[in-house]
Amino acid sequence: MPDSSYRYVFSLSLLMVASLLALLLAVAVGSVPVSLAELWALFSGRGLPLHQELVFGLRAPRALAAFATGGLLSLAGALMQVLLRNPLADPYVLGISGGAAVGALLSMLLGLGTAMVSGSAFTGAFISTLLVFGLAQGQGSWTPTRLLLTGVVVAAGWGALITFMLTLGSAQQLPGMLYWLMGDLSYARSPWLAWLVLILALLLTLPLGRSLNVLARGPLQAAALGVAVKPLAWCVYGLASLLTAAAVTTAGSIGFVGLIVPHMLRLVLGNDQRMILPASVLAGGALLTVADTVARTIIAPQQLPVGVITALIGVPVFLFLLYRSR
Amino acid sequence: MTLRGMLMVSGLLLAVMARSESCVDDDTGRTVCLTAPAQAIVALSPGATEILFSAGAGEQLVAAVNFSDYPPAAKKLPRVGTFKRLDLEAIVALQPDLVVAWGSGNPAEQVERLMSMGLPVYVSEPRKFEDVASNLERLGALAGTSSVATGAANAFRAGVAALQERYAKAAPVTVFYQVWEEPLMTVSDAHLISEAMQICGGVNVFGGLSALAPHISREAVLEKNPQVIVAGGMGEDNPQWLEPWKQFSSLQAVQKDNLFFIAPSSLQRPTPMMLTGTRTLCRHLETARARQ
Repeated sequence: MPDSSYRYVFSLSLLMVASLLALLLAVAVGSVPVSLAELWALFSGRGLPLHQELVFGLRAPRALAAFATGGLLSLAGALMQVLLRNPLADPYVLGISGGAAVGALLSMLLGLGTAMVSGSAFTGAFISTLLVFGLAQGQGSWTPTRLLLTGVVVAAGWGALITFMLTLGSAQQLPGMLYWLMGDLSYARSPWLAWLVLILALLLTLPLGRSLNVLARGPLQAAALGVAVKPLAWCVYGLASLLTAAAVTTAGSIGFVGLIVPHMLRLVLGNDQRMILPASVLAGGALLTVADTVARTIIAPQQLPVGVITALIGVPVFLFLLYRSR
Repeated sequence: MTLRGMLMVSGLLLAVMARSESCVDDDTGRTVCLTAPAQAIVALSPGATEILFSAGAGEQLVAAVNFSDYPPAAKKLPRVGTFKRLDLEAIVALQPDLVVAWGSGNPAEQVERLMSMGLPVYVSEPRKFEDVASNLERLGALAGTSSVATGAANAFRAGVAALQERYAKAAPVTVFYQVWEEPLMTVSDAHLISEAMQICGGVNVFGGLSALAPHISREAVLEKNPQVIVAGGMGEDNPQWLEPWKQFSSLQAVQKDNLFFIAPSSLQRPTPMMLTGTRTLCRHLETARARQ
């Protein structure tokens, strides 16, 4: 179908350009003005040492972390929504962020350094994933409902543990713990793990698009059409978990992006996973990068949590698309 | 060695001495070295700002965080965000030669980012009266204002020692200190406020608890039945938190009307201001002793 492949290339190119513009905006704008000419000088290896520190030391790592986190969360959200056949599914619904938070808080209680905190957050997410996987297997056949219920209950368990650990934390540890839970790019850690996972996951999901389209119609239909439902479902679950774990380890549980970006794209582009998955990565990354740039500059030197801005941009756009689509 | 050689060596020695590198250990045990007295200091907590002013380094402060309101000159300093969400870019742009961070208040990731960018970061975390004095001295050494700082530190120590001596033989008074109303919170002996009580001859009824600022129930306070209740409050002149206690006439503190308010800024910030707050506390405990 030449028409649909034209649309495919056009939409993705547009999103790619938007992503690049978002990243450019993020390195160009900040509390200290750096003009485009000065930015150009920096990229060609000249420029003031101060600007070098600002752009390469502060803005670029944060922008990269924001983009990767946004991309990871949107892709994870899109996968979860297909997997669970539930429009309310987001990357955190199955308790992965809860497991990560318990890991991170535990290592903070033990007084370990920031590198260990990230490591144990990732381990926590991994344990939670395995736990839900093991419990949702059960005796009978695979159903999205069973997975969803298992995940939601495990998440509630993690929530209780988090509250318990916050009570145990001393006054010195408490601020650090709350910062971790809040989820904010001000506290973002190194972006490389996130990028690695994002690129690997994208390469893995692209060939799955067609099968996912079938899975989205329900496990019975998918099985009738010759898709091996159970292996596919677990593969998608594993991928979404890995994506979420990488995102949470990088920047805490940033809400909203994973829920809303895939839905927005479906309203505009239609529900073809071959299109939605890569588009989610680009749109989610661009949205979070722009939102974070706004959050750190709009009332500088005061810094806002990025969630305020994602909601401020996302909610009206989403409601408009929903209203128009009927 | 020839005369010329000796001259050269002594010249080198002089040059090294003139550079006068000063090194101090911060409250986390990291060594912070400056080759010249700090001329552009950024303070990342209201408490650090206050200590720097007392150490005579107020002139060299170039920026502070929100709510840095004491001394009044601190209000005029440019801001670099709040203590829990720092504007790193604004800090780096000021090109400070010393950043004074708050160990348990600032986000660890942001402080580490500043360190990794090569800025000299001193982490301040006073937990005892002596820490306040030694922070004054160490920051004074880094800012090249040791004479003022040493004076301030010694005045602080002398003030504390005078109170200690005066109330050393005073009859012990049991005290409940209320940090917050909802939830009801107090302090344990690990906290500076409890040290202030001990200096005044007070005994913290919740001193033995393990958390630094434990949540407790009203029932626990009734059971401990302290002779004195001291409360901070929201704002500098707002003794509202004392009102709810008046309904419990079984409390010794209520019977003898030993309910006192102390402005939170004078007792809850680990700065030289603590001395003022401690003096007020001692006076209230003395009043309570007279009413026994």
